[in-house]
Amino acid sequence: MAGSGVAHMRNNDEVVLEVRDLVVEFKAGGGRVVNAVSKISFDVCRGETLAIVGESGCGKTTLGKAVLQLPPPNSGDVIFEGTNLSKLPKEQLRSARTAMQMVFQDPISSLDPRMMVRDLIEEPLWVWERGSEEERAVKVRELLNNVGLDPELVLNRRSYEFSGGQCQRISIARSLALEPRMLICDEPVSALDVSIQAQILNLLQDMKDRYGLTMIFISHDLAVVKAVSNRIMVMYLGKICEVGSPDVIYSKPAHHYTSALINSVPIPDPTRKRTTVPLQGEPPSPVAPPSGCRFRTRCPAATEKCAAEEPQLREVSPGQFVACHHPRS
Amino acid sequence: MRKKYTIPTYFAFGWLGFAVFLAVFGSFIPIDGYQVIHGDFIDSPPFTSGHWFGVDSNGYDIFSGIINGARLSIFIAVVSVGLGGFIGSLLGVTAAYYRGRYDSVVNTAFNVVLSVPNLVLALALVAVLATNVDINEAVPTWRRLITLVMSLTIVIIPILGRIARAATLAWSGREFIVAARSMGMRDRHIISRHIVPNVLPALIAVGFLAVGVVIIAEASLSLLGVGIPDGASWGGMIARGRNDLEYNPHALYIPIIALAFTVISTNHVGDVLRGKLDRREGRL
Amino acid sequence: MNSMMSIGNLHVRFATPFGSLEAVRSVDLEIPAGASVGIVGESGSGKTVACRAAMGLLSGSNVQRDGTVVFDGKELTAMTREEVRNEFGTGMAMIFQDPMTALNPVRRIGTQLSESLRLRLGMDKKAALARSAELLSLVRIPDPEAMLKKFPYQLSGGMRQRVMIAIAISCNPKLLFADEPTTALDVTVQAQILQLLSELRRDLKMSMVLITHDLGVVANHTDFVAVMYAGEVVEQATTAELFANMKMPYTQALLNSIPNIEMKSGERLQVIEGRLPNPVDRPKGCGFVTRCSYAQQKCHDEHPPLLDAGNGHLYRCWYPLGHTIARKP
Repeated sequence: MAGSGVAHMRNNDEVVLEVRDLVVEFKAGGGRVVNAVSKISFDVCRGETLAIVGESGCGKTTLGKAVLQLPPPNSGDVIFEGTNLSKLPKEQLRSARTAMQMVFQDPISSLDPRMMVRDLIEEPLWVWERGSEEERAVKVRELLNNVGLDPELVLNRRSYEFSGGQCQRISIARSLALEPRMLICDEPVSALDVSIQAQILNLLQDMKDRYGLTMIFISHDLAVVKAVSNRIMVMYLGKICEVGSPDVIYSKPAHHYTSALINSVPIPDPTRKRTTVPLQGEPPSPVAPPSGCRFRTRCPAATEKCAAEEPQLREVSPGQFVACHHPRS
Repeated sequence: MRKKYTIPTYFAFGWLGFAVFLAVFGSFIPIDGYQVIHGDFIDSPPFTSGHWFGVDSNGYDIFSGIINGARLSIFIAVVSVGLGGFIGSLLGVTAAYYRGRYDSVVNTAFNVVLSVPNLVLALALVAVLATNVDINEAVPTWRRLITLVMSLTIVIIPILGRIARAATLAWSGREFIVAARSMGMRDRHIISRHIVPNVLPALIAVGFLAVGVVIIAEASLSLLGVGIPDGASWGGMIARGRNDLEYNPHALYIPIIALAFTVISTNHVGDVLRGKLDRREGRL
Repeated sequence: MNSMMSIGNLHVRFATPFGSLEAVRSVDLEIPAGASVGIVGESGSGKTVACRAAMGLLSGSNVQRDGTVVFDGKELTAMTREEVRNEFGTGMAMIFQDPMTALNPVRRIGTQLSESLRLRLGMDKKAALARSAELLSLVRIPDPEAMLKKFPYQLSGGMRQRVMIAIAISCNPKLLFADEPTTALDVTVQAQILQLLSELRRDLKMSMVLITHDLGVVANHTDFVAVMYAGEVVEQATTAELFANMKMPYTQALLNSIPNIEMKSGERLQVIEGRLPNPVDRPKGCGFVTRCSYAQQKCHDEHPPLLDAGNGHLYRCWYPLGHTIARKP
């Protein structure tokens, strides 16, 4: 699982976002370097939802933020609608960023607790001086209505008066205020109760249809992304394992890690016992990732080849790409 | 779930209000100025008619001195805490927001200044800035005052600056800061709209504690003879009164009581504000 | 089957500025020896409060607890606080949702783990440390000797939760409360922790109460399930019976809202609209009435009692699923 390679890239007119050889590294103490994202390439077509799936620490959140240049990646290109964001001067980047917005994992922490909902949602419009004060007020109400909140009840309240699900709705309304063309959702439901998760997932689908959005959906839970995504990219320790459409990925995962992820999802049915053992151990440290395939230390099918040679992404069935020397068949 | 204030809290707010009232309107109160000498009443004890707090060995009315001292002590404290707080939080907030080399420089500077005891630092600054080369030439009062305020400001900058830096570090880790950046907000707007309003309550609470520190520091400097000349501040009155302890102890203990009440009150108000703030943080 | 804990007519009220808030209403619950009982409900359903009240962990002048709790033949509700405290560790133990806040950040794992052994079991330092290492290997932590010297911040979430479990089982408790033990964790780690808990329960012959908001979690790891809603138990049965013959529309709605890997991509998730009723001002009829798609007039007017389907399957509904009365869709 190395995921270097570009076999899965599509070169057609529909590609809105193209990421090439993206590298993000952080300095850890003692001169060590955390390899958060190592040479990842992917693309997203117009109107598509790409799901990025992996365990905590696999670099999926860092990848999402690096697309927005928050902070800019160490190397690699992010080309959005033909513009290379990595090479833009600061002021142009600031305005280019408005076409892409982000929804964060922690709905409470992503809203300033001292601001009223009215100001929270108006803020992006205020920053870009969109419309007059009256027009902005109308827009704020419209956005709140669209995310299923009653403007009269919420406008003059602050975020800590709301539940996690409601805060996430407010966050979504704010992220839509500038009418972005792309929405990056970073684990938008993992902090919520199961019963609320479904509401937010449906809302995101509705917003996608209403505003014609292209989405990147980051999650650790394959079950959550199944319903919302058109394409799934599985990540492990800063590399890509597998890329493909949801139906193919779930019915015949080619990568051993993908299959382990699927088998970890609890099945709400006591009559169906798991036959497989859950994936053992935890991912190694991104400070010193294993040589060759980074998944080999936990992989049931690992051989010497996996330690020596980094697998490249290759097509195993139409539209399904896997970076593994010994893919499941 | 509003908690009732306790009696000490009412007292603290009351006393501070009273002291501020004296400082602002003291000169309009129809009594003699603090430098009028009442020859007939020298060493009068408190509760003498016309001189509630008595008169000291020089014939100065102590009540009048307290009022004037309130003006000076509170003026010095408020100006140096305000100025020091402004500069300190400007440095602290920007350092924590931008990080990097600038942050290390600011933080190191704070630590260096903090490592010198307050009083020693102020004393050194006053000694350097408020002395003339020709020792026969008196230093004008205004220059003493400005020097005093400046040196106390320098003492306050790192105290409040570090609080501002720590609070900014905590808040800028929140995702709403990243969210603001992703919507294309400029750094100065992020600081003014999202960081400062969240950091300010903590600063105000500590600012009250700092007022107490400054009042004590100013009094200590006066006691050491480098404060405002003529013993006009509370510290100056204490310095002067200590010589006549045997004859009229009230000339010493009345300004001490005024000073102590004020410092205890500012500390208490600071604590109450911080407590309220913590409860609010708990809800966020 | 012997009873490990028996909760009878438990009520918990909190005094708030808005009036008395009844967080738990008339809960009866039987925890058989050696069994695993799942308590399922949304945030605010009272599941955590009920368990803490049963353990005698709620204190304060604004809390009022009524009812009887019999633990291992002893009536906890009649005991002094000191006597109840003596039951912790050796009798009852608890693990929490957030293992970071439950561990002391400035003390080594070994110190924290051996502390309870020394205090409760009177071991000397050397024996306690040796036992600690044993406990760590019992919770499948590789290299337990090295782990003893680490601090909590050096561990991943899954490792911290394992340490918490080791602390909880250190004094051989008879009953283990697990309050959302996997909510903060990745799915892969969740599968590991759930499996570990099941194995430990079997090997150490413990009873366990598993509190969660996810029906998928209880399906394969419990013998009995109690579903809580608005402070009451609304459905209770053996796990197999509950999933086979669901009676409550609420339980079914909770099950349907779980994102499922068998869904088609683009399919909408089913949601439970609305929210829990205001606990200070509850409706007089069924608490779920405003969110229930089967609600009839009777549901608005009369509070349903807990009925027995005949095989110990309890439910609180006037028109249970599978009932012959015609339903409004």
